[in-house]
This record gives sequence, structure tokens and C-alpha cells, in this order.
Amino acid sequence: MSIDMSQFYQVFFEESAEHLAEMESLLLGLDVANPAAEDLNAIFRAAHSIKGSAGTFGFTDLAELTHVLENLLDKIRKHEIALRPEMVDVCLETGDLLKLMLAAHQGGAPADPEAIAAVSQRLQAFVAGDAAAAAPAPGVAASTSAPPPEARAYLIEFIPSAASAQDGVAGLIESLRALGRLETLVSPPADAPVGFWSLRLFAPVLPDSLAEQLDFIAESGAWRIEEDRSVTTAGEEVFGFFGDAPGLSDEARGYGFFAPLPGVAGGEAAAEDAYGLFEPLPAPAQPEDSAYGFFAPLPESQAVAAPQAEEAYGFFTPLPAPAETLPSAPALPSAAAPAAPPAAPPRAASAAKAPPAVKASAAGGDASIRVSVEKVDQLINLVGELVITQAMLLETVAQMQDAAPERLAHGLAQLERNSRDLQEAVMSIRMLPISFVFSRFPRVVRDLSAKLGKQVELKTSGDTTELDKGLIERIADPLTHLIRNSLDHGIEAPEKRVALGKNPCGTITLKASHQGGNVVIEVGDDGAGLNRDKILAKARERGMQVSEQMSDQEVFALIFEAGFSTAEQVTDVSGRGVGMDVVRRNIQELGGRIEIESMLGIGTRMTVRLPLTLAILDGMSVAVGDQTYILPLSYVMESLQPEPGDIKTLANQGRVIQVRGEYLPVVVLHEIFGLQKAVSRFTQGIMVVLHADGASAALWVDALIGQHQVVIKSLEANYRRVPGISGATIMGDGRVALILDVPAIVAMGKQQQKAA
Amino acid sequence: MERMQGVNPQAEAELASSEFLTFTLGQEEYAIDILRVQEIRGYEKPTQIANAPAFIKGVINLRGIIVPIVDLRIKFHLAQVDYTPFTVVIILNVANRIVGIVVDSVSDVIRLGPAQIRPAPDFSASFDTRYIQGLATVEGRMLIVTDIEQLMLSPEMELLDAPA
Repeated sequence: MSIDMSQFYQVFFEESAEHLAEMESLLLGLDVANPAAEDLNAIFRAAHSIKGSAGTFGFTDLAELTHVLENLLDKIRKHEIALRPEMVDVCLETGDLLKLMLAAHQGGAPADPEAIAAVSQRLQAFVAGDAAAAAPAPGVAASTSAPPPEARAYLIEFIPSAASAQDGVAGLIESLRALGRLETLVSPPADAPVGFWSLRLFAPVLPDSLAEQLDFIAESGAWRIEEDRSVTTAGEEVFGFFGDAPGLSDEARGYGFFAPLPGVAGGEAAAEDAYGLFEPLPAPAQPEDSAYGFFAPLPESQAVAAPQAEEAYGFFTPLPAPAETLPSAPALPSAAAPAAPPAAPPRAASAAKAPPAVKASAAGGDASIRVSVEKVDQLINLVGELVITQAMLLETVAQMQDAAPERLAHGLAQLERNSRDLQEAVMSIRMLPISFVFSRFPRVVRDLSAKLGKQVELKTSGDTTELDKGLIERIADPLTHLIRNSLDHGIEAPEKRVALGKNPCGTITLKASHQGGNVVIEVGDDGAGLNRDKILAKARERGMQVSEQMSDQEVFALIFEAGFSTAEQVTDVSGRGVGMDVVRRNIQELGGRIEIESMLGIGTRMTVRLPLTLAILDGMSVAVGDQTYILPLSYVMESLQPEPGDIKTLANQGRVIQVRGEYLPVVVLHEIFGLQKAVSRFTQGIMVVLHADGASAALWVDALIGQHQVVIKSLEANYRRVPGISGATIMGDGRVALILDVPAIVAMGKQQQKAA
Repeated sequence: MERMQGVNPQAEAELASSEFLTFTLGQEEYAIDILRVQEIRGYEKPTQIANAPAFIKGVINLRGIIVPIVDLRIKFHLAQVDYTPFTVVIILNVANRIVGIVVDSVSDVIRLGPAQIRPAPDFSASFDTRYIQGLATVEGRMLIVTDIEQLMLSPEMELLDAPA
């Protein structure tokens, strides 16, 4: 691998990951009974793009697997195969494997080669099996008569172009093999791959699809396909039937049951070939599956079964009446349509499920450019500087008062507007719709509900709500955890729900919206709800200090304590009591908070509130001594000038102030930060009432200065964490102001009270 | 920088000499690797940081970057510390971090070969000597050649988060 190529690897990884994500969301949104051609094409294109670039970069394993996937998708999109839910499953699994393989190329653990082989075989089984099954003979009786396979014989002749001589031909032969039985009639000597090839293929395909493949490796005019009528398919009995096993577990699906066939010589060999012989599955045939019929071995197949098994195709029966075969073949493409039941009603449901935002973002992706986050951040920094410089100029002009020429003042006002617009525009680059996070949850819910045997529907709304890219990346894990939690602990099993008179299908709602300067994300379920008594009992058991007088909010907040779980049974999904504490910590680290509302038997709703962006903050500047501090406005409830006598002392140490009948601890910033006081009496200063983490405190400062939007700068980049300080910013005059860590300060207030 | 001690001095002399920036702290003159120096600027009053040690004067805005300012004179217990228009701040770039140090004055840039740097006498294990690479004499002045990167990253400078 040359160094030149490797510098593009990262782009390839990113792009492939995006294609995979797009493919997954489209697959999940697909209406199986009536898939939209546009979606199918988009899925195909995604797979095709991955294959193309994987091939270019020499990731052959990725290219091979996507090639098989692409084959299946291509057939589905051309309506040669009717889409079935199992195909969506296998495509999703392939997507997962591709992700693993991508990770492996990026230094992760290698993907399991057996899993890859298994998935690849299943994909091929769908490709080949369904082509055959698409046009079953009418009136196939369950166990006795074999259907006439509608294969045709083709004579394929070509001279490959020099470029594709090696890999191209090998690839072609492989894919032709996958279609049916292939005989090589004439091939050039091995040392001179460019030469005349003649192949005979028995396969239930249309010449068009063959032509497409040949076009890739040979110049037009250098190849020829003829239907070879000299070899009748009569007696040649072609190609097996893969009984689809609709009700099987994942592992077994696609392979069916291999039943030893008494009296069939090739039976064992066939079974080894993974496609094997499929015995009919009696029980869970769904209506559309019955169209594929059940086939059982015929005793006459003895002679032919053995050689055919080597071709990796299962079970073949002699054709009793070859004349029937050929006429049925042309009907092949259209036969796929009747195989799928004309199901209109589900359309509406899935249309609602497929979020329009995903489509919008997919479409928007084409008209976008890829820029590194570093560059965007640099841009944001520069614009921040510009705004500061502009503010400095403005201040200077203000000081000049009337001495400033009018045109200068006018120009500066214009500059101010422009730079503000510029800043907003630049900031919006970092904003992404939350659908980037939401789009992964349908999959989580789908997989998990299948695993837990629950029926769950996920409803999302507010997918277009925008928030900072940094937040998007870091909110995904906590939200996934909340959803898993809702699914595992919230939603009851279907029987239990029916017994309770609920809809057996539970609902998880995911809602995002803007509220003031915050993004609010709600994860709700209509499940069992939290049991207050159980949580209290568990808390007592763990020796926590709890009382019956605690509010519901406080009781429910206990589940965020480390190691707290009321689950009777630990599952591999959740219940170990790790997690909710991490969720709360992660959200707090993002400057957000989480609240729980719950009603026993009705459901639970977790509300996550996050700041819009990590980079900008609405702040209130306060003066303390000769220093200026910024209070994030989202924590500020009100500010007031204390009257003499408002402030009381507790045990002569802790101070409290009465605000609207409530006693709040007073935090004196000068004291905790060791600063000079500009004013000596409480009545000369200002009390700012702060609310964070469910507690309030009054912060005493010298004066309020004003409100600003400030750009948050990290103090830790060059320095270290400072207790009580969450970051820094640069003020209009170019000086640094520190941003107060309000939750920490409120906690200090609490401690003071405890100490008192 | 261990290579400067105890290896064949002749071979070392052939090695490329490197440039050092010298500055004064009180009566002492120090030399630091010039490749660690980003720029030199005048002292401006930084924004104080609550509950920080006295030698950390606070943070300044260096073209949009928040940079902590350390007064080495306080750290090295110099008797007289005042801030005049001539007080300078050397902005250092050490281990991808930017830190400013306050010194009395910057003298010049000199070239020192490894042979010119003599090991410093061992004064017990006190703070100062651990980050001293050696002593050099130039025109009768003694220069204390300091490994400024190690000094700035050391725990006693309190510039880094304590390891969790």
C-alpha cells in the first residue's frame, strides 16, 4: 500500500461510513411490500459507491462482500426478485459486517471471516434462489411434484480487453457461477489471459443482465451472447430451489433444514455445500412465502444430484416436461410482482415511519463539500476575533463622541451588522440536524425489541432540530442508553400489556425541539413507569438517606445514582445499575441536565436539556472586585438588590436569604474566590438567584454589567481545570473573562449550608 | 539532553550547536532553547484565576487563545517583583501548550555548543537544579541553561491537571 493512497483512506472511511449509514436508514424505512423505486435505487447506489471506492483503494474484502450485496440489491431494484423482510435483515447484517470490516482496516479488531462468508452465502442464496423461485409453476403441490425450473442455456463468447483480462474475467466467471451452472468450452491458455473465451451457462436469467456484465470486461463488439437452443434444458434439469424458511431464527434462515435424503446419492455432498437440500418447513409459511412452494426430493434424482451438488446448488430434479420450461421463462420478470402481495395499507404506516429529514439530508449531501472540523473551528475563531476588533473600534468611536466623523460612525454601524451576520452564518456551519443521531435509533429499537421479544414502535419528531456537531457526537451514547433502558425496563412484554389493557405494541417517542436557548430531547415510553416505593425500598437497602417526604422528582433522580438498579433480573441489555449515572454525567458534561417524569403503569418520560452549542453561550456579566465574570444565562433565575435584614445567618456562619418565601443559601463569590470586595455591605451588591441540578442558591456579586453572547474558550487547552470555573471568553475590550461553573457554585452553597 | 554530560567532548563539539534565548531574573541569567520560544511581548495585566498559586498571575488573550501567565520571579522566590513598562513576557510553546513566563528582561540570543555547557554542581534535590541542564560561561557571565519544557510540565508549576 503506497503512502500516496493512504492519505485518502480517511476520506474513504468517512464516505463509506456515511454510505452505510444512509443504506441502513433507507433499509429501515423501506416498505417491504411496496418498496419505493427511488429508495431501492438509493440503497443500490450506496452499496455501489462503497464497492467502487473499496476496489480503488485495494480493500478487496470490502469490495467482495459489497459486490454480492450489490448483486442482490440490483435484482431487487430491477424487480427481478420480490423484496422480503429476510432480505432486509440480511442486508442490515451485511451493513454491520461492512462496518466491522471498515473498523478493522482502521486498526480495529478484524471482522469474523466465518460471519462474512455466511452472510455472503446467504446473499447469494437470495440472488440465485429467488431468480429461480420467482416464476413457480402454477399449482405446485406441496410434496410430490417438483416445479419446472425455467433456466435457459446461453452460449457466451468474448475476448476480454487487456485491462480486465485478469481480475475481470475471474470476477465474471465467479458471478456467472453464482447465477447458474457454467461450463467453460474454450478458454485461452493460462499464461495469455487475453484471448477467446467461450462459456456455456445454464441459468434462469435474462440475456440483458449478462450483457451488462460482459460489457464491463470486453469492448462492445468483442462479445456475444446467444441463447443456446442446441442444448435443451430438457433432462439437464437445472438449478435448485431454495425453500425459504420464513419462520426460522436468524442463523438458520436461508439455509433451511438439511434433511438427509434416503436414496439420494448426492444428498450428503449437497448438504455440505451450504445450500443443500431444503425440506419444506411446515409451520409458519406466510402468504407470500407460499408462492415459493415446498419441494421434496424425488427418487429419480439419484443420478443427477451428485454432479449438480458440486456446482453449489442444491437439489435438482429431472424435468418431466421440458416444453413447459421455455414458455414460462419469459414471464420471469413480471412473475416477481404477483409474488409480492399487493399490499397497499402498510404504505401509509411506513411512510410515516420514514423520516423525511433523512431523505432531505441525503439529497443535501450531494451538494455539500467536505471540510475538516479544524478549518471550521479556525474560521469561528477568526470571526470571533473580528467581532472583538469591531467592538473595540466601536468603543473608541464612542469615546470620541462628537469628534468622530459621521461617516466613520456610520461605517462602523454597518460593520457591526455585517460582522454579526457573518458570525451567525459561520456558527451555523457547525449546526447539524438531530436526525444524524435519531437515524440510528430505529435500528437499535428494531434489534433490541426482537431480542427481548417485545413489540415496540419508535416515533420520532423534531428531526430537523439543529444543534452543534460537537453535541451531536456526544449525545448519541446517552440517548442510546435511555432508549435501551426504556425498551428493557419500561415497555412490558406483549402478553403483559394485553393483560393490562394496553396496545401490545409499545411506543417509544423521541422528540427534539428548541426551547429558548436550549435543545430539549424527550425520550418517552408508554411502559410500566417507575415504581416510587420500589425505588425508595431499594435506596434504603443500599443505605441511602431517603424519606417518604421526598418529591417524586427527587425519588426518581435516585436511579441516576451509581450502582442503582431495581431490575429483578440482570439482562445483557441493562439492569446492572451502571449506565444511568454515566448518562447523567455525560449530559452534565455537555452543560445539560436530565429530568424524569413517570406515572406508574402509564409510562416514563426523560427530558434532556442541552445548550444549543458548545461554542457560544448567552451570558450575564457580573463585576466582582476588579474582575468580570460571566454567568451562563440559562442558570440565572432572577437578580435582586437585598434589603437590609433580608439576609439571615444560620449558626452564625452560613447565610441565607429569603426570596419569595424560600430560604436560599448565599454564596459570596469574593469569599470563595478570595477576591477584594468593592462594596462592603450586602445591600450595596446584587443577589443573583441561580438554579442548577434541582437546587438554588443566591450568588452575591458587586454589580451586574450586562448581557452578552460569548464565545466559549477552553481554559484547559493551555492551563488546567479550575474549581468553580467552566471556561473563559474574550470580552469586547480584548480582556479575558472567566465563565462561572454554576452547578459547582450552587453545590458550594449547599456545602456551606451543611457545614453551618 | 543527557547527551551533554559524560560523553566524549570532542565528538560533541562537532555536533551542531544550538541557539538559546537568555533572560534575567534578578541577578541571575538564564538560557532556554530558542525553539521553545514563540514570541516575546510586553506585560499586560492578566485576568486573575481564583485560588491559583501566587506565581500564576492569570490568563491573557493571545489573539483569541487563552494563555496562562507564570511569573518565574515569584516562583524562584526573587525578592523584588514589580511590573514596569519594561517587564516582558516570553510566550513559550511547550508540548503543544502555550504558556507565558514573566521575566525581568530578555538579553540576547546566543549560540552554545554542547562542549560549552558544563554540568551544574549537585545541590541536593531541590527544585531548581532538576531542570537545569548545565551552566555555560559567555563573556564572563554565567548562564543557567534550563530545560524549560520539563520545568513547565513539572507538577510544581501547577499548569497541568493533576493526573486522575
